Amino acid sequence: MKIIGLIITIITGAFLVYAAADFPAWADPNSPASTYLSPYFIENSMKDTSVPNFVTSLLADYRGFDTMFETTVIFTAGLVCFILLRISGGKEPETSHYRHVLTGVTVTLKKGHKIPESEDFERIDDLWTPPDLIIKTGCRLMIPFIQLFGLYVIAHGHSSPGGGFQGGVILGASIILLAISHDLRTALEKMREKVVAILCPIGVSIYAGTGALCLLLGVNFLDYSALASVLHVDPIAARSHGIFMVEIGVGIAVMTTMIWIYNNISSAGKYNQGL
Amino acid sequence: MDILVCILLFSGLFFLTAGSIGILRFPDFYSRLHPAGKLDTLGTLLALLGLALFNLQHFSLGALLTSLKIMLIIIFVFVASPTATHAIVDAGVRAGLAPWTKGEKRR
Repeated sequence: MKIIGLIITIITGAFLVYAAADFPAWADPNSPASTYLSPYFIENSMKDTSVPNFVTSLLADYRGFDTMFETTVIFTAGLVCFILLRISGGKEPETSHYRHVLTGVTVTLKKGHKIPESEDFERIDDLWTPPDLIIKTGCRLMIPFIQLFGLYVIAHGHSSPGGGFQGGVILGASIILLAISHDLRTALEKMREKVVAILCPIGVSIYAGTGALCLLLGVNFLDYSALASVLHVDPIAARSHGIFMVEIGVGIAVMTTMIWIYNNISSAGKYNQGL
Repeated sequence: MDILVCILLFSGLFFLTAGSIGILRFPDFYSRLHPAGKLDTLGTLLALLGLALFNLQHFSLGALLTSLKIMLIIIFVFVASPTATHAIVDAGVRAGLAPWTKGEKRR
């Protein structure tokens, strides 16, 4: 079996190398891509879409279909992690640990028992380590600014490097940083599982919905110039606004997928305690 | 102005180089984190400060904004880098890694 696999791999690799020999040379100025496509996008992006950063206009407008399905792929990755790992049903663990904050005494409870109603007890993980003031304070200081920067990157995808994917990753990373520096329970309080699971498809739907709106207004799917009549701007500015709407959808989808995957993998689908 | 920028950039470069050599030369985990945490932070701060000053040579509102953004990066690095180093050292201590003492083999 292994030998058959090896033969198939070698044949596929040989085909790939054979096909790659036909490619134009690296950075060849006479290749079709550099003679027609790239100059067109560089010269006409501003004229067509009024977006100075032509990477963004290329990504979200000229080949908007591709980016829409990229977003769908990301959503699918999160969904698959959820379906494979999440253990549903409120099965309580055999023992759970609580810590009395004032005295530092740890209480281990067997299944079915309860602690007295008091603010002084906090639920802790099995592998609990004492809270570190420097890490917690440092992260608490940074997280709001990281999130602000994430929003900035999403909103400035038009005129500077950035966009929905990058901004979404930064926003998701800020919540993951919270989960690492504090614990998973704190992060889940800020971003509940249901919110994540609802926001993720909403992000994809914003993208597809923008395209469908264009379809309803009587032009092609994802042809944002149709939004001009809704937004009361000229068609070229409408393309710029359409790209922005799409970027917001991408940002939401990427952010929630990051958090979703982290939550499911770090807690092995149980959501009771993280790393 | 040019001289000041050059001094800042070269001292930043010096600290970054010294930090890289330190990471390679120091004998164990904790002492290796020492140049990684301190010298890299200082080197980055000096180099970025030099860039922010260089950017202000032809003064305009756009250049001022770019320099302000570089200053924000400096503040971020100043907070984030020592915190990250502390977290790594903390993880090492909790995992039970004993510090290197004189006479032992380097690891």
